[in-house]
Amino acid sequence: MTRKTDDILSRRKFLIASGAAGLTGLAGCTENNSNSESEPTEASGGSGDSEDSGSGSESEGLSGDINVAGSSTVFPLATAMAERFQKEHSEVNVNIQSTGSGGGFANYFCTGQTDFNNASRPIKGEEQDQCSNNDVTPVELKVATDALTVIVNNDNDFIGEGLTVEQLKTIFSAEEKPTMWSDVNSEWPEEEIEIFGPTDASGTYDYFIEAILGEEGPGHRQDYSATEQDRTIIQGVKGSKFAIGYMGFAYYSENTDAVQAVAVDNGDGYVEPSLDTALSGDYTPLSRPLFTYPAKESLAKDHVAEFARYWMENSTSKEIVADEVGYVPLGEDEKQEMLDKLNSAIEEAN
Amino acid sequence: MATEQDSSYAQGFGQVSRTAGLVFRYLLLAATMFGIVTLAVLLVYVANDAIQPLTADAGWHLTFFLTLVLPTILVGGALYRRNREALKLGGMVVGALLVSLLFSGGVAIVFVDIIPPLTGFSYAVGLAVAVAGTVLLTKYETQIPFTARVAATGLLFFLSLFGVPGYFHSIPELVQQAPVVPTDWIILTLVLGGLTALVVGQYIARVREDTKAGVAAGASALVLTALGAIVGPFVGIDANALVVVTAVSFVPTAAYAGGSVITREELKPGLVFAATVIVGALVGAVAVDALGFAGPQAWTDWQFLTSSHSGSAENAGLYPAIGGSILLMVTVAALSFPLGVGAAVYLEEYAPDNRFTRFIDVNISNLAGVPSVVYGLLGLGVFVTYLGQATGTVLIGGATLALLILPIVIISSREAIRSVPNDMRQASYGMGATRWQTVRNVVLPEAFPGILTGTILALGRAIGETAPLIMIGAPNVVFNLPTELSSKVSAMPLQVYAWSSLFASEDFYTKAVPAGVVVLLAVLLAMNSIAIVLRNKYESET
Repeated sequence: MTRKTDDILSRRKFLIASGAAGLTGLAGCTENNSNSESEPTEASGGSGDSEDSGSGSESEGLSGDINVAGSSTVFPLATAMAERFQKEHSEVNVNIQSTGSGGGFANYFCTGQTDFNNASRPIKGEEQDQCSNNDVTPVELKVATDALTVIVNNDNDFIGEGLTVEQLKTIFSAEEKPTMWSDVNSEWPEEEIEIFGPTDASGTYDYFIEAILGEEGPGHRQDYSATEQDRTIIQGVKGSKFAIGYMGFAYYSENTDAVQAVAVDNGDGYVEPSLDTALSGDYTPLSRPLFTYPAKESLAKDHVAEFARYWMENSTSKEIVADEVGYVPLGEDEKQEMLDKLNSAIEEAN
Repeated sequence: MATEQDSSYAQGFGQVSRTAGLVFRYLLLAATMFGIVTLAVLLVYVANDAIQPLTADAGWHLTFFLTLVLPTILVGGALYRRNREALKLGGMVVGALLVSLLFSGGVAIVFVDIIPPLTGFSYAVGLAVAVAGTVLLTKYETQIPFTARVAATGLLFFLSLFGVPGYFHSIPELVQQAPVVPTDWIILTLVLGGLTALVVGQYIARVREDTKAGVAAGASALVLTALGAIVGPFVGIDANALVVVTAVSFVPTAAYAGGSVITREELKPGLVFAATVIVGALVGAVAVDALGFAGPQAWTDWQFLTSSHSGSAENAGLYPAIGGSILLMVTVAALSFPLGVGAAVYLEEYAPDNRFTRFIDVNISNLAGVPSVVYGLLGLGVFVTYLGQATGTVLIGGATLALLILPIVIISSREAIRSVPNDMRQASYGMGATRWQTVRNVVLPEAFPGILTGTILALGRAIGETAPLIMIGAPNVVFNLPTELSSKVSAMPLQVYAWSSLFASEDFYTKAVPAGVVVLLAVLLAMNSIAIVLRNKYESET
């Protein structure tokens, strides 16, 4: 206001006067209070720097972008949380991408493109290194527990009660690579095993190796139909009587009619995958924690910190986590632990 | 001798079997129909899933049959026998109304939700001032040297749109900071209604060959638009929405209908047909409402069009993806049109015919066939990795898609330019015109409809592309409309892809996906129909 010259003032007066003259006839002028709101929506050039947007805004009027990438297993949970968060803070844009845990860390999170990375396994050492090289500090937050589920076709009756961990290891190992079911158990039919599973960018794949095949074990066979789309795994297993696959419990829980889950025996009898058995710890070794990793640098922004807090506070919600998505919610103690961890990270960041 | 030979030929003819030819003909027919029928079956299947016409009450179907279908068949049949041209006009009016309604929806998304009306208005004022200044400058065309004029015009646009930070406020800033501003509907009436009034006025002035009639038509168009805003709240429709619909859909359609009838009196019965369809649809809608018949439980409904993604398929919507697709198309058009047409004009009018241009020729044709996923990788490599832009933004998505359709735009523009008869160029040169004057005044106006058709068809391809957007890292789920060029963007095909692959429940597959496909196809067909109408008009004029 202070630096306006006479020239500008007269121009402005002229504009207002001529505008007003034309418009009062139509009678519909309003006081201009939209200056502050219209600023962020001004069509400015595409500098593409979402890092700055929204910083420094007051807590009641949160706005800005939150970019989330990572695990397809955590994707539905992140989407459910974002949908509810969005209803309370309509000016915040939450963008969620399903890239697989490893794909998200390597291509998006550790290069500074995203604020959160979902993961269905803990972050690996080399990913830590890549992140710290780019000044990104991941904060590990557990969001739920999953029961990694092995599925077979509904018409599959020959496996009987279920599969033992040893049998799973034989089927998926890179060393033995059985082609026929009869190679695994001589009583089973002499039919080809069709295997569907997630790609090696997926945390589900990594966790399966860790839990079934062992870190030092034979490794995962590579002659299987790999996909990042859990739906494709379900469709594949549904289509063939002699197919087998594995995925997160949430996708199975939405499709219980299409395929059947395999009970797994880890030495103490066969245990069906379910929310209860995963929570009680009976479903071993395939129940696993799911994580999201906010970047500490992003937590300095109020809207990102608020979303992280919202997620953690609702991580015990049976309605969202269990009923809508199909994972085991955190317990109260765990939630408090995560919230404390998050709050101290937010404090450090600011 | 000669006659004997003739008769022996004739005998030979009599013995030729027609079976081979007949079989060949029907095989060709089968080949033609195979793709079309397969596609039609698929579309009917998808549309049935999306709209579910069988869930409606029998009374609903009966009411619409009585009010809409039956009168349309009767009037249409009568016109078909007596005056086919008029029937064609009636069909065009109804089609124009439908397509322009669709477009008014898009315009409303852009000018109400994405760009706040005040911001849009401020830039419109800034542009208007700059354009007025330029017109003034052109008046003294002969007194100012060319370079000075170009520099002055550039400076004028720059100052009025951007100002000089710290010294001189730009006009958009001034307008946005004004203490008193018009309400949204007045802004929309002035900007959109004003544009429509200009176009309508010029159109009527041309067909009536009377400037006064044009001014009157333009003024009444503006008044009609304003009326929409005043009437709107009384009938329970948002004033802003009604202004946009009136300005973009109702007024142009009415002007088209009126203008056609003015030029050709005998086409008047066509308007009866259009009125039968429109009134029939309205009466039917009111009647089923009054009688309490439930319509089909369509998945492609208002809620689907206006809400964003949700965890349950019933509440999921396409709104951010529709807005994203529109913004992407604007970006793609803004980037590919000048580049593509520029390249086409150079290659057709200026380039010498040597080895180098032939090399470029061949490569442009090859580029048109490169798979879209390769363009996606190119976009990822160039814009994200090399230039360090954020992934998945409107700008990057638009730029990648623009690269994808650039070869198509160039090729179709070249076709259009090449189809301008050489005689016209020679005549222009014969009048002493320079090459630049010939291109500007003869070639481009003549080729413009063809160029536009090609560009719209190319945009139609870009709007359906998914692979490049996946490659550049566009997010699978977005909850808000993109408001800037640097916002993350989703698009209609991408949203359909995400629903069909990432969400496990069967509901998404059987409800949200078909609904999304129907919307995508409707937009695509509307765009293509405009291209076809333009082409037909162009062909009938030459």
